[in-house]
Amino acid sequence: MNITRRDLLKAATAVAAAMGIKAAGFPDAEVLAKTGGLKVVWLQAQSCSGCSVSLLNSIYYDTIEGLVLNTLDLKFHPTVMAAAGSTAVRAAEAARLAGGYVLVVEGSVPTGAAGEYCYLWPGVRAVDGVKAYARNAIYIVAVGTCAAYGGIPAGTPNVTGAKGLRDILTGKTVVNLPGCPTHPDWIVGTIAYILANGHAPTLDSSGRPTDYYGRLVHDNCPNLAAYTSNYRSRAEGGHAGGQSCLACHRNNDSDVRSPRQLGQAGCLYPVGCKGRFTYADCPARKWNGGAPGTPGVNWCIGARAPCHGCTQPNFPDGMSPFFTLNGPGA
Amino acid sequence: MFTTIKVAPMTRIEGHLDIEVTVGPVNGKQQVVEAKSSGTMFRGFEILLKNRDPLDALHITQRICGVCPIAHGMTAALTLDAALGVAPPTNGRVMRNLVLGANFVQSHILHFYHLAAPDYIDTTGILDLSPWTPRFVTGDMVSGTVAATLVGHYVQALAMRRKAHQMGAIFGGKLPCSPTFVPGGFTETVTAQKIADFRVLLTELRGFIDGVMVPDVLAVAGVFPEYGAMGRGCGNLLAYGVFNLDTAGTTKLLARGRYTDGALATVDPAQIKEYVKYSKYSSGTGLNPQVGDTAPSATKAGAYSWLKAPRYLDKVHEVGALARMWVNGDYRNGISVIDRLAARCLEAKKIADAMDAWLNQLTVGGASYTFKDVPATASAIGLSEAARGALGHWVGISSKKVSRYQIVTPTNWNASPKDDAGRRGPIEQALIGTPVKDTTQPIEVLRVVHSFDPCLACSVHMVRV
Repeated sequence: MNITRRDLLKAATAVAAAMGIKAAGFPDAEVLAKTGGLKVVWLQAQSCSGCSVSLLNSIYYDTIEGLVLNTLDLKFHPTVMAAAGSTAVRAAEAARLAGGYVLVVEGSVPTGAAGEYCYLWPGVRAVDGVKAYARNAIYIVAVGTCAAYGGIPAGTPNVTGAKGLRDILTGKTVVNLPGCPTHPDWIVGTIAYILANGHAPTLDSSGRPTDYYGRLVHDNCPNLAAYTSNYRSRAEGGHAGGQSCLACHRNNDSDVRSPRQLGQAGCLYPVGCKGRFTYADCPARKWNGGAPGTPGVNWCIGARAPCHGCTQPNFPDGMSPFFTLNGPGA
Repeated sequence: MFTTIKVAPMTRIEGHLDIEVTVGPVNGKQQVVEAKSSGTMFRGFEILLKNRDPLDALHITQRICGVCPIAHGMTAALTLDAALGVAPPTNGRVMRNLVLGANFVQSHILHFYHLAAPDYIDTTGILDLSPWTPRFVTGDMVSGTVAATLVGHYVQALAMRRKAHQMGAIFGGKLPCSPTFVPGGFTETVTAQKIADFRVLLTELRGFIDGVMVPDVLAVAGVFPEYGAMGRGCGNLLAYGVFNLDTAGTTKLLARGRYTDGALATVDPAQIKEYVKYSKYSSGTGLNPQVGDTAPSATKAGAYSWLKAPRYLDKVHEVGALARMWVNGDYRNGISVIDRLAARCLEAKKIADAMDAWLNQLTVGGASYTFKDVPATASAIGLSEAARGALGHWVGISSKKVSRYQIVTPTNWNASPKDDAGRRGPIEQALIGTPVKDTTQPIEVLRVVHSFDPCLACSVHMVRV
């Protein structure tokens, strides 16, 4: 039985809709063939490459090989491109001068010491290169929390003056796909949307596509009933505000009715879960899927690890400490 | 006539690396006579870790590098185990090893096929599209049907490394960057379904390694035998060892040890010193990671890298799969470009094969985690390995917060600049003497550098007291 890509996508769309996962809506193969592929220039600034590695795990909407062979015209990506040195730079520069590309930036952009903390290539500091490449781009996508908002390199005291694109490219529309790393589906789905519709998707006030970042992890979490039964009245009744019980109480404090530790099933709010403040569709989509149109095999909370809020503009400082295990005190 | 050529940026690595070589005739043969390896990006992880809750390091250090985050998660967990005085129960120890093993397998597949192999294959007529063009095309590259077969395996390997991450996520929650590594063990629980699902993927990966990857590496070795005598470098090897097979870590799948001046010896982390004469830091040089005060100095005269120059007993040492396999007695054929590629794929096989037995050591429903409070004061070291080599974390805790956190990464060792005594780093030494036929297409330089599997995000760090 010969299953075409079109059949798979149709099936995937149906499953997705049932689960509340945004479908991709890839355009026809004919449309892609006509356009010759979506040109992409992918620059890495203060990047760990985690978002690139995450993209390599794409499977839900399409595999990376499918994307790069059929959909994208990847003009520059330092991790995978065959060319090196000046040959690679010439490829990037030719793409920049020709225009008509999506600029993807991975990693924060340092502004301290006049940008000396990161070079794209000899003579071109990241801060200057990103601005130059943004000028000729038809879309600008910040992949990962670092590129979107500064992320971990911008964590206090931020000695390098690391910033996200929204602070580097003021006045430009940047599609933010935060996550640390970002989910491959959020990248691939957004590209598909742009290809199919000719414009960026609806973005929230933090520049994120509402299709993927429209709901709190908390509101979609399988442990929500346990949270509502055990912690909600304290947490949302003004007592603990945004913090877990163990931010102030120790586990053996008589006020703590059910001491909680890692490795236990159930709501992870007491041990530091930031799902209540984090917008992402992880509970439905999960991570590291094995087949097209199929949610992932696991996810942070599924593995009994509290959400650490990695898609939020205030990650990491606003989500720290990531764990609250036994309260403060000597 | 001597020319200086730059390969900048180096691609098909992780991160930002500029390589500069001076090429000229020696005894009539055009070769590299001087080499400089420069890291060109800095973030300052040690500074931003200061004053945080110590368990924040589990997540933050993983973002030093997205290719080897699990190695940092493991090393941070081991460091905090030591600082807190807690050990994981067997389930926790084994799940940590399984997730780290999954990422090692992913990384080694990615390295050979997607980072290194393109240096050896002429993809003209097979992959005439970005990002596989433009590219160097040299007469010695494999072409025709052999090239087409390797390109097919390149594509297959993309699926295989994805499956390795899928496999790791069964226990690790998600990859890259797994939230499940904690002091005292691992957050996830063991079920029979997870063991079965992991084993299905592992079996497929082992089949790929045995049936496709190892033969491909041997095929490349056969076509490029001269690379078995190229890129030797310093000839000294260092391994902290990895994959604890018992609670105390006294037995490991790949042992701790070193090979210095032709002899095997033990490793004492107190013998590590970091030099900064040619590194962009304005502070103490020749200091052990446990002490010292460093400040970044972006425009320091004479400095050409953000990497420091770590040395063991003031000698240059290479780290990585070859070092581990050599120290463990599994591979002692030689030290060269080909030997690094061979040791890496054989190590992938060794780890994948071991993982099947580790699955049998898991207890369904058994404890994965033991709680222990963070003490007010502590000082500890965690030594492990990333795919690219020896990885160490040094933590100081004061008033329950991080007072000091230092990280010496594998690529710090391999891509280091010269030290204060002018001793070049391993990649620099490996490049000296490398023949370069065509200075407009210095493919030999790429092949030597790529054999180390450089990861520059990891390598740029600083030391702060």
